[in-house]
Amino acid sequence: MLFQIDELQRKAKLIRGRILEMVVSANKGHIGGAFSCSDILVALYFGGILRFDPGKPDWSERDRFILSKGHSGIALYAILADLGYFPLPVLSSFCQNGSMLGGHPDRNIPGVEIDTGSLGHGLGVAAGLALCAKMEKRDYLSVVLLGDGECYEGSVWEAAMFSGHHELNNLVAIVDRNRQCATDFTEDCNRLDPLADKWRAFNWDVREINGHSFVELLDALKDLRLRRSPRPLALIAATVKGKGVPFMEGKIKWHHGVPSGENLDIARKEISPE
Amino acid sequence: MADSNVVISQDISEKDMRDAFFDYLYDLAAKDKSLIFLTADMGALSLERFRNNLVSQYINVGVAEQNLVSVASGLALGGKKVFIYAIAPFITQRCYEQIKIDICGMRLPVTIIGSGPGISYSSDGPTHHATDDIAIMRNMPYINILNPSDSMSSEAAAGFAYESSDPIYIRLDKGRFPALYKRDITFQDGLAVLKRGQDLTIISTGIMVHKAFEIAEELAMYSIDTTIVDVYRIKPLNDEMMTDIISRTKRIITLEEHSITGGLGSAVCELMADKGISKPVKRFGIRNVQSAGYGDRDWMHEYYGLDVRSVCREIINWLRDCLCTKIKKY
Repeated sequence: MLFQIDELQRKAKLIRGRILEMVVSANKGHIGGAFSCSDILVALYFGGILRFDPGKPDWSERDRFILSKGHSGIALYAILADLGYFPLPVLSSFCQNGSMLGGHPDRNIPGVEIDTGSLGHGLGVAAGLALCAKMEKRDYLSVVLLGDGECYEGSVWEAAMFSGHHELNNLVAIVDRNRQCATDFTEDCNRLDPLADKWRAFNWDVREINGHSFVELLDALKDLRLRRSPRPLALIAATVKGKGVPFMEGKIKWHHGVPSGENLDIARKEISPE
Repeated sequence: MADSNVVISQDISEKDMRDAFFDYLYDLAAKDKSLIFLTADMGALSLERFRNNLVSQYINVGVAEQNLVSVASGLALGGKKVFIYAIAPFITQRCYEQIKIDICGMRLPVTIIGSGPGISYSSDGPTHHATDDIAIMRNMPYINILNPSDSMSSEAAAGFAYESSDPIYIRLDKGRFPALYKRDITFQDGLAVLKRGQDLTIISTGIMVHKAFEIAEELAMYSIDTTIVDVYRIKPLNDEMMTDIISRTKRIITLEEHSITGGLGSAVCELMADKGISKPVKRFGIRNVQSAGYGDRDWMHEYYGLDVRSVCREIINWLRDCLCTKIKKY
């Protein structure tokens, strides 16, 4: 499944639309961060980057994608349902009583590798998976998506140091650098920059890209299995929280929030596929 | 209920408990390349062979317990049989959430080896004491908590953990203790009646089981006849066997090198409450978890009132009214 750039853009709109409807029907959800990473997820799953088979979620040779910023689970759910890991109507049960789709993803959901929700866990687990692949000389990739606010967790840097030391060049960390955490701008509450230099200092290769440009995303993510560098790869993806709905973009209040009334109409119009 | 194969021996030439565990783990790892050992910069003489001979299966992640647990989880997800090792309070408390989410929440076969349970690291002070690890680990889903009491049960714990597909927490003590079990012990029952008596039952765990024998010997001088139970698997407790033991006794003592809150004594009392059993119980453990001084393990036991004389005095005072015909004066 390899999409052209315009097809990826259309898919991203579709995914954002489904995220919006999930948030509206559940009357809750971390919509801002889900929108900021939607393009990254679309590139990974529809841009021919990850190796997977929705019919065989446990396929041993699949690439392992870990959504370490578990609060963006709604974005991943929308992707997995679209790919057929589970039926699309399941999305409308998000956060309803008895649903398999909660506010944060768990391993019982087809296509979800690990339980996440508390920040700072995913990179370490992915490092273990990457190390396992090295030990067994298998070529599956471990790809982790972290929030930039998540990078405040010390465990992220424990895992980064470990991964650099063990030369896990089959490990990719993508940082959704939307420059906001839950209640503040990252550079105001606890400065993260120079973030790329931090990863470099931990012996990672680093690229800084526009996380909403499919051209840049695909270029940075292509040929991951052929990398010659011994270092793990960090992509600092510059993104915008709430991307796709102008009145949400860059606004702290949309870390989690539910649009209603006129706002909802505007949001639906903005992200409806042409 | 059949007694386990009990051998009370004072043979101090028995292997060190920690060596027994690691020697057997080495044998298992030598045969199974999927067994991976991760340490947070914690060693042991008996681990040197593992480190030197099974290089690809031994990883020192450094003093980074959170990452230790998360990496173990990833390896287990990839199909490895993972053992992780650090000092008990650090590998339970520093990374508690990683254990909860990355190991137990996903029910992965990772064995957590906590070195130095209780006040094993006596004079190193309270930062190194594990006196509430049972309390917090009991709340973890799916986990088995093992607390070996001699070198045989220590070795058996390694085998049990290797065979298990569930998370395991092992309180691994060091030192040489009289043998309580024969080599054919399994961990299936979770507890064993090591001595039978009429007047009261001491339920203990880990190296405190040996103290229970000393206490029983002292109490025998006052014609108090004790049963001794070793709970080598604290979770899941063997409800059926424990209920049977409690039903047969008049009074119950619990004895542990752990906080009085949430440990073995709590587990026994919870079981009694759930089963509607009402009997006199006295719990011996650590009541003031912040120690006020430094000393060796025996000194610490005296400080906490866990030495033989203190425990016996309290038991006899407790029994004085009901056993006045047996007890003259203590």
